[in-house]
Amino acid sequence: MKKRLKYIIAAVVVVLLAYNSVYFEKLSEVKAEAATGKFDAASYAATFWDTKLMPGLNQAVEVNDLMAQLQSDKEAAFKAHSNALGIGNIRYFLIKGEGELSSINENDVTILAMADGEQKPVKIATEFVYGNAVRDALGLVDLNDFSNTMDLNNVSEELNRKIRTEVVPPFRAAAKKGDKVTFIGAIELNKEHLRLDEIEVIPVALEVVKE
Amino acid sequence: MSPKVYVEEKKTKPNGAAVAKPLQGPADYKRYLVKFQSLIALFILCLVIGLLSDKFFTVANGWNVMRQISVNICISVGMTLVVLTAGIDLSVGSILALCGAITAGLLKFGLEFPGMDMFVGFTMLGAVLAGILTGTSLGMFNGWTITRFKVPPFVATLAMLTIARGLTMLWTEGFPISNLGSNFAYLGTGWLLGIPVPVWISGVIVLAAVIVTKKTRLGRYIYAIGGNESAARLSGININRIKIIVYAIAGALAAIGGLIVTSRLNSAQPNAGISYELDAIAAVVIGGTSLSGGRGTILGTVLGAIIIGVLNNGLVLLDVSPFWQQVVKGFVILLAVIIDKANSKGE
Repeated sequence: MKKRLKYIIAAVVVVLLAYNSVYFEKLSEVKAEAATGKFDAASYAATFWDTKLMPGLNQAVEVNDLMAQLQSDKEAAFKAHSNALGIGNIRYFLIKGEGELSSINENDVTILAMADGEQKPVKIATEFVYGNAVRDALGLVDLNDFSNTMDLNNVSEELNRKIRTEVVPPFRAAAKKGDKVTFIGAIELNKEHLRLDEIEVIPVALEVVKE
Repeated sequence: MSPKVYVEEKKTKPNGAAVAKPLQGPADYKRYLVKFQSLIALFILCLVIGLLSDKFFTVANGWNVMRQISVNICISVGMTLVVLTAGIDLSVGSILALCGAITAGLLKFGLEFPGMDMFVGFTMLGAVLAGILTGTSLGMFNGWTITRFKVPPFVATLAMLTIARGLTMLWTEGFPISNLGSNFAYLGTGWLLGIPVPVWISGVIVLAAVIVTKKTRLGRYIYAIGGNESAARLSGININRIKIIVYAIAGALAAIGGLIVTSRLNSAQPNAGISYELDAIAAVVIGGTSLSGGRGTILGTVLGAIIIGVLNNGLVLLDVSPFWQQVVKGFVILLAVIIDKANSKGE
């Protein structure tokens, strides 16, 4: 009798737990509901580009000023001008500058810009546009808009695709060696292992200045 | 001049309990030193780190350390039970990852049965129970292979380490499962009565394990099996059953550790828990549990886990490279084993 009571209590507990653990729905209805709320990285990226990135370009720091600040007070420069979604040493900056187009290569162009008080080559990526620099440089992406990291990464991919297809081609078509060029773009720097001689800019705005 | 002779007298209270005896000579001092060696080591460690870093003795850092070690405590308690039976469980890190991933996956995506046009959604309770059940089942499987096929625990659990990691990759497709909701995040990041929830969870587990090892038949059987398996068998203990239970508990506790990790990050990472088994074994060994079984305590393991946690925290605060941190930890474990061996010889 005592044993039977034990089993009955155990069964009741299991049923109660199961009842509060799962719920059943029609799969077709769940899928239909999910489809309406599916994240569209392309439209998010387009909206982000138009409403946040473009208006925020005026926050870009002059490459010359940034280099000088990084040399004099790295911590302060990172604190003032860098952004990143995660923690760690990799941080992103939105920079701007102008200079003479010194070389046009298959994967990039080099601009001789004033940096750290002297004319320095700044590499602008035109072919391999990857990473999260553009997405994160302004610090305007809200993580709460994303339910998973794939969606977040897809936004970067869409932004980079936009750069490859909309920013780079008109510039490459018009630019000649020796032209004066202005640029705004994002760069990635490692706070712990700072290398200022290997900066590569992911361009957001790239124009040949007509004299 | 006659030499001093220290005579050890057995004194007991009327109820049979031992009466605390004042220290009488060098042998007593040595015994106490040995008994409290982990505590002394922890004290010295805290003192040194506290002197070198002004951030160490802060309330925030204290809670941070407690949060971090709570996962290791969960795993280490299970590992202690396994080691007490003269076994070892190398699969706890992978089980932790799999259970965290299963909980996260069920919570976020549920289960789909397209043939039946059925979707099974999981509440937080359901997902958590499923994770713990998975850990328990895998632990039972470990125990079953060890007892049924006489596979050495090292090999059986090494196999499970790979199996569980592979299953985690299959379940997650190699991607993290993130944004699991604020209710679930509360498990790893919340506070209850001014104490972090993970600390409560690990505290309850420690309390339960102390009661089991000290006050129950199961606890006595575990020590008996580790002390002398043949004698335990001859005295009528169902060795296989106890071992399966012990590995199942280790699996369940690894699963709870997985829930804490997943909740804390609000994301199940396919690579979570890598080498956590080593930290757990280190905590067990530093805590004075003999790897040959039959000797050790849960509280010793907790102390070992705290030492590992404080050491990790201290090395980070002192900006020591992660590579050096591993070297230092390795030497600390080695030192603990050497001291333990020396003490065993002395006894």
